[in-house]
Amino acid sequence: MVGMHCATCVVTVSKALSSVDGVKKAQVSLASGQASVITEGVRLKDVVDAVRKAGYDVLVANVALRVDAGREELSSLRKKVEEIDGVVSVSFGDGVLKVMYNPYSLSPDQLVQQLKAMGIRASVSEGKSELPEVEAARAELRSMMMRLLVAIAFTVPTIALEFSGFPLYALLTSVPVQFYSGLTFHRGAWRALKNRTTNMDTLVSLASNVAWFYSVFSLAQGGQVYVDTAALLVTFVLIGKTVEAYVKSRAVTSVVRLQVSEAVKLVDGKEVKVSSSELKVGDMVILRAGSQVPADGVIDEGQIWVDESLLTGEVKPVVKGVGEALVGGSKVISGYAKLYVTRTGESTYLAQVLNAVREAQTARLPVQDTVDRVAAVFTPVILAASAGVLAFWLLRGFPLSAALFFAVAVLASACPCALGLATPMAVLTSVTELAKRGITVKDGEALQRLSKVRHVVFDKTGTLTEGRFEVRKVKEIVPGAMQAAASVEALSSHPLAAAIASASSAKEKVEGFMEFPGEGVYGKVGGHEVVVGSPSFARKNTDESVEECDVVVLMDWKPAALVWLGDKLREGVKEAVDELKAGHHVVVATGDSGTGARWIGKELGVEVVAGLLPDQKVELVKKLKEDGPVAFVGDGINDAQALKEADVGIAISTGTELAKYAGDIIMRSPAHLPYLMRASKLTVRKVRENLAWAFGYNSALVPLAAGLLYPAVYISPPVAALAMSMSSVFVTLWSVARK
Amino acid sequence: MSVLDPVCGMKVEETTAYRSLYRGKVYYFCSQNCKKEFDANPDKYLREGPHVMKGCC
Repeated sequence: MVGMHCATCVVTVSKALSSVDGVKKAQVSLASGQASVITEGVRLKDVVDAVRKAGYDVLVANVALRVDAGREELSSLRKKVEEIDGVVSVSFGDGVLKVMYNPYSLSPDQLVQQLKAMGIRASVSEGKSELPEVEAARAELRSMMMRLLVAIAFTVPTIALEFSGFPLYALLTSVPVQFYSGLTFHRGAWRALKNRTTNMDTLVSLASNVAWFYSVFSLAQGGQVYVDTAALLVTFVLIGKTVEAYVKSRAVTSVVRLQVSEAVKLVDGKEVKVSSSELKVGDMVILRAGSQVPADGVIDEGQIWVDESLLTGEVKPVVKGVGEALVGGSKVISGYAKLYVTRTGESTYLAQVLNAVREAQTARLPVQDTVDRVAAVFTPVILAASAGVLAFWLLRGFPLSAALFFAVAVLASACPCALGLATPMAVLTSVTELAKRGITVKDGEALQRLSKVRHVVFDKTGTLTEGRFEVRKVKEIVPGAMQAAASVEALSSHPLAAAIASASSAKEKVEGFMEFPGEGVYGKVGGHEVVVGSPSFARKNTDESVEECDVVVLMDWKPAALVWLGDKLREGVKEAVDELKAGHHVVVATGDSGTGARWIGKELGVEVVAGLLPDQKVELVKKLKEDGPVAFVGDGINDAQALKEADVGIAISTGTELAKYAGDIIMRSPAHLPYLMRASKLTVRKVRENLAWAFGYNSALVPLAAGLLYPAVYISPPVAALAMSMSSVFVTLWSVARK
Repeated sequence: MSVLDPVCGMKVEETTAYRSLYRGKVYYFCSQNCKKEFDANPDKYLREGPHVMKGCC
């Protein structure tokens, strides 16, 4: 979204979006300048048009495609292309389709792919792949800085001339400040007026214009000018806007910058420097110490140490050798390797993370609805208050210039923008920070829900544990039984078999091996008949009683060894659960019913609900929900139902196809859960503090500006403008300050 | 080599995945159903021989 300044803009754009037939839901964020819209049977063009009609604009990208189609086919082609998700409009020229598209949901490469699927051969003929949000944020910062510089350059002489008795010259030097630097506010105010609403721009524009035009009027009658008020007002508010634009552009670029980097590509054995956005699948790139992995790929040659914190949250470098996969955005710490590129552009893991982050950034916390309702009436109330103040002081017998002074101060001191920025700024910062640690927030609202969670339910295998079994305890009745068992199990492919097979490194020859799926194995080792399997399997094949354990070894149909297996806890899980226990009710829900379930309960000191089928896990979550909000931490695919049922679903997944996983938040290991919990609490706290500041600021400053305590305390319009501008700067910086 | 399914009496190949080890002897089945039936009550089938079952094969 282009042109949104204030909370009222958000309301206006939301209304415009919702007014389009078929738009089901529209979420607009001021901080990220983005909107996400859920539609049914709507052409994107209508949505964009609605926004433009409201006086705002949507950032779009253009691409020209060379298509292999006859002239007569073009018009039917156009209809087809316009139906592709993400395409705004299509026009055509000489064998070229000019497509205007939403760069957030579509890329030229994807467009070509989609066309190919329709049976149309197309290729991109021009158009650069710059990152739209970075460009937009930078452009806004540049424009604000330019306006600010002009404002400062002309405000200084304006004040000097005004106070040394050259009112006419002061009026002249204030023109660029009022009508170039201040144009952004006048334009915003005009747009608001056209939409029959008001916003921060209305206040600033009205205040500065009243001061400026009253000066003209006063000068014409041989009186004083008050252009310093107008000039300072514009300058001070611009300072705030510039700081805000700077912080925004930094927040946007910090993650996105990772996406584009320089790559060293091998072309016919020579090293060529290219931008990572130009890489194609199948390219070979060189990785050296200090460089950034430019795309997803597999190491073809060499060995490197990489910091994969973006993926895993773990800063400790890991070693990667031939055949191992790397994700783009990881940092190469040392070593040298050749990388075979397997995914580029929009399909890389990093791009998926960024897409999720963008979605999450537009999230609106429920509290924002209240804030928006307040913001919507805020400016009209201030306008009315200002008029009331003017009337009041005039009635008290003050001259018009003095009464105007109070009225302008009221306009300049009220700061609706702090209200609008309070929530989104805090969410934006959190989501970005979390992404840098390998935690992908798919739903920004989940951050607020998470802060209220009372019960944390963990899945066991693969979530708390690595999902790899190992032998924990052995009771060998017949000496050598474990070696025989290991020899037989080495031939099996069952996951538990690997644990037994690794219990003894010496292996013997096995004859007549036979596998009974889900039960056990049989084989002849050194003249003995050996059976390894579950206790129930063993009981069917021996007359002697078998103790309860995980695996039984029979030799010549008599119990020879009993084995207890265990899964290994993931690194850091114990510490994480200990920390969570301090403020939450922690439950482990597992499908296991045997010794493994009891073991984890003892190991972590938590309640275990054992022997649950997937839908019983859902039932457990439902039951706990009656007592308070529940977070479910589990596998993104197997536990999808429970993740959806919980108030917050946290998927622990190691894959790189984010879209595949259920859950509001996706991370690599539950070890990072306390960090996530702290981040969620911090976000909510920041939002509260920001809102408290914004409301407190306005309710304190507006009465003072109105002259409530006059003549003891009063605020001149320039000071009011400075305070207003600092209020939004404060909210912005406070959201970013994390320590 | 083909053998008899102890539950339904059908001829089955020894290569089948449906098999059980009971009292040190391997039994082969035509289907999961027969294997389940045998595992639940092996002695009955070993004593009485194959039954013609409904819904098995």
